[in-house]
Amino acid sequence: MSASIAAAGSPASFVELDVNGQAVAVRASLSTTLLTALRDELHLTAAKRGCNQGVCGACTIRIDGVPMRACLSLAHGCVGSRVATLEGLAADPRMQALQRAFAETGGFQCGFCTPGMLVAAHALLEREADPDEDAIRGALSGNLCRCTGYVKIVAAVLAAASASKGSP
Amino acid sequence: MPLQGMLWPRTVAEATAMLDQDPEAKPLAGGATLVAMMNARVLEPLALVNLARIDELRGIRVLADGALRIGACTRHRETLDCMALSGTTAVLRRAAAQIANATVRNMGTIGGSISFADPGLDYPPAIVAADCSVEIAASHGRRTVPAREFFVDWYTTALEPGEIVTAILVPPPAAGGAAYEKHARVSGDYATASAAVCLAADGKVRAAIGGCGPTPIADPEADALLSADRSDASVARAGALLEARADPLDDVRGSAEYRRLLIPRLLLRAVRRAEADGSRPR
Repeated sequence: MSASIAAAGSPASFVELDVNGQAVAVRASLSTTLLTALRDELHLTAAKRGCNQGVCGACTIRIDGVPMRACLSLAHGCVGSRVATLEGLAADPRMQALQRAFAETGGFQCGFCTPGMLVAAHALLEREADPDEDAIRGALSGNLCRCTGYVKIVAAVLAAASASKGSP
Repeated sequence: MPLQGMLWPRTVAEATAMLDQDPEAKPLAGGATLVAMMNARVLEPLALVNLARIDELRGIRVLADGALRIGACTRHRETLDCMALSGTTAVLRRAAAQIANATVRNMGTIGGSISFADPGLDYPPAIVAADCSVEIAASHGRRTVPAREFFVDWYTTALEPGEIVTAILVPPPAAGGAAYEKHARVSGDYATASAAVCLAADGKVRAAIGGCGPTPIADPEADALLSADRSDASVARAGALLEARADPLDDVRGSAEYRRLLIPRLLLRAVRRAEADGSRPR
């Protein structure tokens, strides 16, 4: 840290976070959201800034394993928690099945909502390996897509679930 | 002026002492409302007292008499999964299930929600219908107020400066059924109007309406009518009594007139659904 940054910031201008299994020191003021820290400081840009109000779901990530909104989480409030973004979940076979299914089914158009959709759908499949359409629509009801009309997104999750069947 | 500090009390006593010391500080629970307001610059607190590490505020405890104590920082997800909220008190689970969406339900807390006291929220009519109380702590001690007295005016509660909600106290469940009927523009929105009904097996009914005035609407006469007779005509009379107490706004979620029309309709649906809920084999 340069002397000028240290002088300009309060003592809280850096925060130690556990992101995708790595300990990182992130520059963040006290009111910096986790989303801003992830995107603007760590350049983990899968999580998108849509509404910044918790409504659109484009910033869905996991905190201590639980799907949450990065935009409603303060970076300094995540000290001591495990943060996982889509980048950190991408090695999981179930996530890869989802990504393949989204691509093959055409479950996206502009792609802005896709990372949030994937994180939310992945959490659903972890909890419920074989969800029906209602369960999928319920689990994704907090993820807005302005392109697809959702039909192909639901189809993609169904396809991923059946593709994952039989695998552990 | 940007946020100057985030404090991490480990006990309620520490939290209330911090709030006393710094009148500009705001208590932070799940962040679902407070951080959204900060992002929108509706609120720019100078300090936050983060309640996340106070064990006492987390989780739901069943007390000796069957009453429940829901810690203020209990997430909506935990409340909607709590099978001890049964019979008449299942109304809290039904309301929790309709708050926002699954991800936000993993974040938002019951104490944060009722302290915000937006009229379109789901918990306020539910905790009024279930006759819950709200436990409040200040540095000089604790007090308990009935849910219906907790909500005072638009976005205004019985909380005084320096006070926080510590728990929602749910009376022992009576056998019976419960329903929460919500009318919203889209799934996950704030309610345009809503109706919470608790129907005990002995016929006693408690109803409350949300979204149609500064605070949840309840009326002892309406409850008496519903407890004596649940015919369509009687429910309509009870609905008219509740509607007479309504003071709805015209806003993007619906006109005041539309909300008034919703009251008797949602009430009837909630009563019928509570009946069906209570008659399910268990």
